[in-house]
Amino acid sequence: MIIIFERTGGFAGITQRAVIDTASLSPEERQALEALLEQAGFFDLPPRLAREGEGVDRFQYLVTIEHGDRKHTVVLSEEAMPESLQPLMRRLSLLARRFRSP
Amino acid sequence: MSRHPISCILPPYMLDQIAQNGTPEQRQKAEVTATLTAQFRASRLEMAARPSAVPRAPGVAMRQRAVYTANFGSSLPGQLVRAEGAPPSGDAAVDEAYDGSGATYDLYWDVYQRNSIDGSGMRLDSTVHYQQGYDNAFWNGQQMVYGDGDEDLPPAQRLFNRFTISIDVIGHELTHGVTQFTGNLIYSNQPGALNESFSDVFGTLVKQRALGQSVDQADWLIGAGLFTANVQGVALRSMKEPGTAYNDPVLGKDPQPGHMSGYVNTTSDNGGVHINSGIPNHAFYLTAMEIGGFAWEKAGRIWYVTLRDRIRSTTNFQQAADLTYTVAGELFGVNSLEQMAVKHGWAGVGITVGSSSDGDTPQGCLQSVLKVFGIR
Repeated sequence: MIIIFERTGGFAGITQRAVIDTASLSPEERQALEALLEQAGFFDLPPRLAREGEGVDRFQYLVTIEHGDRKHTVVLSEEAMPESLQPLMRRLSLLARRFRSP
Repeated sequence: MSRHPISCILPPYMLDQIAQNGTPEQRQKAEVTATLTAQFRASRLEMAARPSAVPRAPGVAMRQRAVYTANFGSSLPGQLVRAEGAPPSGDAAVDEAYDGSGATYDLYWDVYQRNSIDGSGMRLDSTVHYQQGYDNAFWNGQQMVYGDGDEDLPPAQRLFNRFTISIDVIGHELTHGVTQFTGNLIYSNQPGALNESFSDVFGTLVKQRALGQSVDQADWLIGAGLFTANVQGVALRSMKEPGTAYNDPVLGKDPQPGHMSGYVNTTSDNGGVHINSGIPNHAFYLTAMEIGGFAWEKAGRIWYVTLRDRIRSTTNFQQAADLTYTVAGELFGVNSLEQMAVKHGWAGVGITVGSSSDGDTPQGCLQSVLKVFGIR
């Protein structure tokens, strides 16, 4: 499974971009990530979950996941993000620290 | 988006007054003129509808603060931990949010005679312990919200401390509220970067005033103390030297330009609002350094009056430069040292005040109204 992750915005304004190949994760990490994806229903999310003009200093996410013959891209603004997605985004953000694209 | 001239001379709170108390004709005009954005209006309505809203006492300036905890969840405002006048809670994040919003209130009231975010004594609500591993702070249109950084990781892996740790972060978030009730800069591209910059400017002024620092004693950093020792960096942004706050193998390098030559065209981050804010940030720094003394007294006043009276939702860098220059002339005299400092400050970031051609330079509201009526 390949995950292309981008997070921009936030008070810090620190952009995170990463390509995460889950083959390079430990089996435990891979399993935990798959559970989070399942819980978030990632492949069933609408391609755009955004709400304009509410709040400032919020995060914006752009996430593409390729898994077997499935591929899904989601644009997310934090204001419109269901709470159920937060643990997944946190996990991906932490992985993005490790697999940061130059 | 063009703006009806009356909204230019009338600040929003006066429009509200007219809408409530004016003659039928005035009321109608005020309503037509209310170019308050949907965002602003919606947030006012929501605020009025909130049961926790404190009754406003016009003319009486009193700090009203409330700090809540989200208990690591997402519900806002959460559970009340510390109300105004209550003793310290012993929870560092709660007490920092309480003290920091107090210091911010004091800057606006003691120095600029502004009674809270809305100018009418609005209570300052903060929620701490928001979500788990939330490395951010934000203003949601009604209140401040702070995460605890990387509290969900083992100490050796943490990059971010709790976001209340830095008093200028608190001043920054509250100033987003002030901007919402005044210039209401749209949150994208140059107006958005100005929105961010005003928050950094008054955020750092809250810190400098709380520490009693003159311009040469201040660090001019935004978010000092937010990074743990695991990060190669001193803060999130530097107004003194944009682009130098951090350079870390995990987080990358501070991307802020401090000059128009480095302006970043991007669609990310609402058009780089946290990136290009480095340019007006540095212009303020240069202006304050040239004036000297305590930055909140003169440079801060120029920026505050500009935000309160002149900034519009679509103001860009050039216009902001021209407006601060005009305001400096009005406050301190044409060709005063202060006005020259503003000119030099913007010149230092590659913006020449008044270069948007003489006749069209924003010269204050009276002139623009006269122009509309063909009187010049």
